Amino acid sequence: MTAAPPILEVRGLAKRFPPRSGQASSPWILADLSFCVAEQEFLTIVGPSGAGKSTLLNILAQVDDATEGRILFRGEAIRTANGTQLKPGWNCQIGYVTQDDNLLPWRTMIENVMLPLRLQGRLDVGAKDRVAELLRATNLIGFEGYYPHELSGGMRKRASLIRTLAYDPPIILMDEPFSAVDAQTRAHLQQDLLRLWNLGRKTIIFVTHDISEAIALGDRLLVLSKSPAKVIAEHPISIRRPRDLGNIYKLEGFGDIFECVRRALQ
Amino acid sequence: MKWSVLIDRFIAFVLVIAGWQVCSIYFGPIWFSSPLRVLDRFIEEARSGDLWFQTEYTLKAALYGSLLGGIPAALLPFALRRHPVASAILDPYLVGGYGVPKLALAPLFILWFGVDLEPKVALVASIVSFLVFFSTAAGVSAVNAQYVSAARVFGATERDIARHIVWPGAIPYVFAGFRIAVPYAIGAAVVGELISANRGLGFLVQSGATDFDTTLVFVALTTLTVLVVTINLFVSRCERWLLRWRPPQQRLAAGAAGA
Repeated sequence: MTAAPPILEVRGLAKRFPPRSGQASSPWILADLSFCVAEQEFLTIVGPSGAGKSTLLNILAQVDDATEGRILFRGEAIRTANGTQLKPGWNCQIGYVTQDDNLLPWRTMIENVMLPLRLQGRLDVGAKDRVAELLRATNLIGFEGYYPHELSGGMRKRASLIRTLAYDPPIILMDEPFSAVDAQTRAHLQQDLLRLWNLGRKTIIFVTHDISEAIALGDRLLVLSKSPAKVIAEHPISIRRPRDLGNIYKLEGFGDIFECVRRALQ
Repeated sequence: MKWSVLIDRFIAFVLVIAGWQVCSIYFGPIWFSSPLRVLDRFIEEARSGDLWFQTEYTLKAALYGSLLGGIPAALLPFALRRHPVASAILDPYLVGGYGVPKLALAPLFILWFGVDLEPKVALVASIVSFLVFFSTAAGVSAVNAQYVSAARVFGATERDIARHIVWPGAIPYVFAGFRIAVPYAIGAAVVGELISANRGLGFLVQSGATDFDTTLVFVALTTLTVLVVTINLFVSRCERWLLRWRPPQQRLAAGAAGA
């Protein structure tokens, strides 16, 4: 894993929001945060709620700006210290699946899934085949013409997931994408995600506050401290793939990592 | 709709008509005419084509004015969205313009545009434009920031965002503006005709009243009411079709608010 060149490198990232009126300064949300992600790696990040996990992903997705630090994408700086203008998604190189599905309510499911491709002018036969394959893989066939409000929570999640997978950005950021669904749907979605990831391996940075989820999905796990967030622990996860998520708790290594992470978070 | 509601509505209608009839008998038909007289006269006027002749004129003024005032007013907030400085400059003037009692402008419009259709169109446009503008502006500023941010990440340009996110999100507000504007548009056309005209339903009201022909006045008023209700129904239909993506309970709430 360490042999692969990093696709994304984060160095000394720090963030604080502008102080509110009447306040001299505002607290740091992120402080001296550094890590690397390798090409095709599934990196999971756990941290306590309110630790700035979403802020971190917003910065990586270029939706928000950092106060200090550098971000390198394949060796190229996408953020320099003096902060040039933000380019959300870095020219469609960085996908972002947020906590809310953000499907447009006035578009049918298939129109939502194809919207990025359409906007990027890449909606050709190959792309349509790819979308069809993703729909099959996520059991969404037959629901193409439904509006988001007519779909179940799990279906909406899957649709929002394949909307990003369909245009195939090399890195995908995921911000607790399965936090708003019930436990059973969640287990299905996790299995779906791993299956999709196996279809075409990409780099995924998956943020969650659920330790089991982080272990079950990732190749490597980072633990963030309470705010201001920095990396306080790192665990490679060597559980063999393909993983049976139903029995993940019984697999060798799971218990040890879980215990370590839990202690680190306290 | 439930049958019981329809029946109750019918009962309410009968009560109103009966009340009118009682007034007519008590105060005399010279002041109140009577439901039956109005119905007779309505049929007579409709048959002769005179009613349509007058209605057409009022309808034209209301329609042209609504389009002339409403369409630019619905587009302006989209243009201003990307220009905060321009909108900050314009804001007090728009608020001030909204505050001007437009009906008081009628004599000015007559001075400028004469006594034919043009001053009525101008009056309607001046009223409709502000109603539609403020409603649309509310819709444009209520755009879901998360949709915009997500769209930027997957490569949407500002134009794409306007077209795929801001515009569809604001359509319900545009419709709300127009739905509110319908009775005002008809009303403005009628006021324009009351002041100076030789045609239109407002003229009919005016000439009926001067001749002590209350029946004619009521015929004109009934026609106006039917007109507004019909147009509202039409706008609601269009809206329902355009907004068929909305969940049913949301649609119901919007319908109840607009009805």
